Amino acid sequence: MRRRWIGYPAATAAVALTVGLLKLFPGLADSTIALLLLLAVFLSAWLWQSGPGVLAAILATAVFNFFFLPPLYTFTIQDPRNVAALFVFLVSGLLIGRLSAVARRRLEEVEAERRDLTSLTRLSEAFLSDTNRESLLGVVVDRLRNALQCEQVALWIGGETGTVKEAAATPGTRIREDLVELAWRQGSSASFGSELGGTDIYLPVSIGVQRTGVLVARGMRSSERMAEGCAVLLGLALERERFLRLAREAEATKASEQMKSTLLATLAHDLKTPVAAARGAVENWIAEAGASEKAGLALEEMKRLSRRIQELMEVVRLDSGVAQPRREIVQAGEIVEAAVSRFGDALEGHSLLVDPAASNAAVAVDPAQLTEALGHGLENAAAYSPKGTRIEVRVVAEPDRVKLQVLDRGAGVSASDRERVFERFVRLPASRAIPGTGLGLSIARSLVQMNGGTLSLAGAPGGGTLFEISLPRAIR
Amino acid sequence: MSRVLVVDDEAPIRKVVRDALERVGHDVETASDGEEALARFENGEFGLVVADWNMPGIDGFELVRRIRKRSGVPILMLTVRSEERDKVRLLDAGADDYVTKPFGVAELVARAGALLRRTDARAGPALLAFGEVEVSPDARTVRRRGKAVHLTPTEYALLITLLGKPGAVWTHRQLLTAVWGTTAGVSNDTLRVHMGSLRRKLESDPDRPRWIRTEPWVGYRFTPEG
Repeated sequence: MRRRWIGYPAATAAVALTVGLLKLFPGLADSTIALLLLLAVFLSAWLWQSGPGVLAAILATAVFNFFFLPPLYTFTIQDPRNVAALFVFLVSGLLIGRLSAVARRRLEEVEAERRDLTSLTRLSEAFLSDTNRESLLGVVVDRLRNALQCEQVALWIGGETGTVKEAAATPGTRIREDLVELAWRQGSSASFGSELGGTDIYLPVSIGVQRTGVLVARGMRSSERMAEGCAVLLGLALERERFLRLAREAEATKASEQMKSTLLATLAHDLKTPVAAARGAVENWIAEAGASEKAGLALEEMKRLSRRIQELMEVVRLDSGVAQPRREIVQAGEIVEAAVSRFGDALEGHSLLVDPAASNAAVAVDPAQLTEALGHGLENAAAYSPKGTRIEVRVVAEPDRVKLQVLDRGAGVSASDRERVFERFVRLPASRAIPGTGLGLSIARSLVQMNGGTLSLAGAPGGGTLFEISLPRAIR
Repeated sequence: MSRVLVVDDEAPIRKVVRDALERVGHDVETASDGEEALARFENGEFGLVVADWNMPGIDGFELVRRIRKRSGVPILMLTVRSEERDKVRLLDAGADDYVTKPFGVAELVARAGALLRRTDARAGPALLAFGEVEVSPDARTVRRRGKAVHLTPTEYALLITLLGKPGAVWTHRQLLTAVWGTTAGVSNDTLRVHMGSLRRKLESDPDRPRWIRTEPWVGYRFTPEG
């Protein structure tokens, strides 16, 4: 299509050359002459497309008449049959020229598509072999420049904040940022004639409806379809890179969680084993030698030490992030039953009342963690209310919340201290005589919050404390 | 009385467990790892195995699986792990019960005793009376304080299943399989409802059951000594 005008003189020359050749062999039949001239028309149309083809057909008709139909070297025609022959010749010439030009153009189109496909395939292979963003961006512009046969390429990528920034560009690339913005914000592409020759094109890069960036090519000779193909490939490559990155990160996090978990298990084992051995030895000693004040004291202290180690381990687990809740839908009554069963020993001296009214209400929580949290509430109630008094456990179901309550008949906590007691190691002066670490309530609150609930203390009606866990109600 | 195999890699724990069990009259052998335990198990008859979970080499979990392949001997596990999921895994693999470290010696002796009575009971009549309750399997009747108690077929099946392994912990899945024949379509909630009504019929304080105990988030246990 470049230098198209050259086809006209070339077609003229081709016809002239054919005439010259034919004149070298006199005595050829008219039909042979006509066929050879048609061949010249065909070749002209094939080589230089339809304009020169038409010219060749007309010229061939003229020279056929002038040089080969009697009377020679005039445009007059003696035999009336030759008028018809000449007319048929002209029509055939025009048709052959036209068909030949169309066939040639189709061939070229197919060839161009094949080239595009080949370069897209190469491009996709190159993108797929890149597994990280840096190396992908390092080579992307050169590959795109080759594939799109253009002067300048720029790739802009959207960030976390919703803005789009240049990620890679060929050196010296100047682009219109307003068009980049337009492509990024509205997903509209723009293409127009370039001052560098060819086309300038601004294309959004997206995956589905999600835009990931903008591709700019300047002075592009390839088709727009090719550019669109490149944009799609680019979108896929970026998305793939993002998934690979996420997968790597998830892998790393998992490995570190696993390590923490193993470390904590080892720590728990190393701390609990000697305590278990010591406590067992004291118990065996008491069983053999009989109870004594000293032995009893040692045993009590061992038990306290065990409990503190357990609480400390719980705090470490909570802080390390290993204790992620594994939620399932359970009935509030199950949590109450589990907590009473596990921490029942602490309630030995009290009378226990469990109100099962709303125990069917469902919550989506880690059952073990909530059992632990409610258990701290029970232990607290037992520790801070006189023996023989009543401890009440209730489930209260509201339309969208479920409350687990523990009520005691103790001295209660003054309103000003009700938040402070949730701080770690905080123990109120009035309760110093009661053994404890000041960790229980803080652990309980962390556990409840991790499961999407709240934990608070309030005054119970008729004195004492109301320990209340409030959880979103789950729908079965 | 009964021969007990104690397996733990920690010598102090082995000593404590041995002393405690020997004091109540059991005959105790010890092993310091899984390999040794399996070798001793090959050469002797034991009424109970007490094993630690965390051991180098063949750990407690693997030990349970290997012992279960050749014997139904009761197995009591010692563990520092307090996660229910771990316990369920252990029980489903074939352990009968577990004690969490640091444990009280009295508790250990009681649990071991309950599991050992099961082996002894094979010779004599099955344990069919506890507290105020008497069960007559032939007549399929249950009496409490001499008065007949009406149990639904499911409640009766649950009770008989629990009595079949006194002292042992049944996971939810094991109970569902034993009583319903399947875990499909039956939830833990269903189990809980039946257990609740069984307790109301048999326990004097159903909120603090003595005989049919809940193992939180693991399953249930029948405690023969209440």
